[in-house]
Amino acid sequence: MYGKGLRTLSIATVVAITTALTLVFFYAPLEAEQGFLQKIFYVHVPLAIIALCGFVLGGLLAIQHLRTRDPRWDMRSYVVIHMSLIFAVGTLITGSIWAKGSWGHWWVWSEPTLVSFLIVFLLYATYQPLRFAIEDPERQSRYASVFAITAGAFVPLNFIAVRLSTAYLHPRVLGSTSNLPGPMALTFLVSLLALSLLFATLCKYELTAKHTRAQLRALRRRLAGETTGVPTRPRSAAPSLHHATAPARAAGGSAL
Amino acid sequence: MILATVLGETPALPLHTAGKYVAGAYIVLFALVLIYVAIMAIRLSRIERDLGELLSMSEQTPGSKPAGAEHADEHSHDRQDPQPESTLA
Repeated sequence: MYGKGLRTLSIATVVAITTALTLVFFYAPLEAEQGFLQKIFYVHVPLAIIALCGFVLGGLLAIQHLRTRDPRWDMRSYVVIHMSLIFAVGTLITGSIWAKGSWGHWWVWSEPTLVSFLIVFLLYATYQPLRFAIEDPERQSRYASVFAITAGAFVPLNFIAVRLSTAYLHPRVLGSTSNLPGPMALTFLVSLLALSLLFATLCKYELTAKHTRAQLRALRRRLAGETTGVPTRPRSAAPSLHHATAPARAAGGSAL
Repeated sequence: MILATVLGETPALPLHTAGKYVAGAYIVLFALVLIYVAIMAIRLSRIERDLGELLSMSEQTPGSKPAGAEHADEHSHDRQDPQPESTLA
């Protein structure tokens, strides 16, 4: 059941976020160069890491979908990518605010890290329109999985390419966490944990909501007397949970 | 009272300089979560409405059982649902 453990996860998220905010504002020391402005680091960098990891995870879940043809994996991949996009929006906005405060500009086009993240974001921004453009649910989920795998493979390649490029402007974060003073590193790790928990909680909420809607639709069909055939549904970018019912049943699984 | 005590104990934050940017960044995160919660609230109300419709449909169905039996039937349907639930990987 998708809702199982949701309350515990929600409570853990609230506790972790409260702890992270307390550490950010009352424990972590002020950075020597940027001072108070550096506090944005504790929200911007975890958001970026989680968004990129989410995109890769979406690709891995899509591989599982193509292997098993079980629509549950497609749903998970869709939800994870959807949530990563929201986190990516947060990354871009907080990054722009940080850039304005630090460099005096909202955006610096000559900085590879910013531009590459924007490219990844724009790439994934086409994911939902792609799904919506395909009416047949079976083809929609298959094409979306192929897209998620290809784009998911692009994310680490893009990251490595940017790391190999000669960038001196944007601060290096991954791999240099050990250079942070102890209190700053601790605060950063707690912030990363808190936002990871937030990501997991929101994904679980989304999955629970979609599952509940699917159950309601199934109940409505049952009450309306429909017993056979693939149910009609309004055109949607969200995965259909019915088209692969037969293989899922044959595999001892389920349609959800 | 507690907030005033906490603020009194903490060092002064430089809100006049970088503070507006830091506040802006954290407000963005808060706003994103708030928007998501609002969307979920709308979805929840839609589910509640659909559930109400289904309940009235089940009551109007010819040969339908009494309300208590209907609920018991729904539960048994849940158990025999060909689409059982699963956990998030």
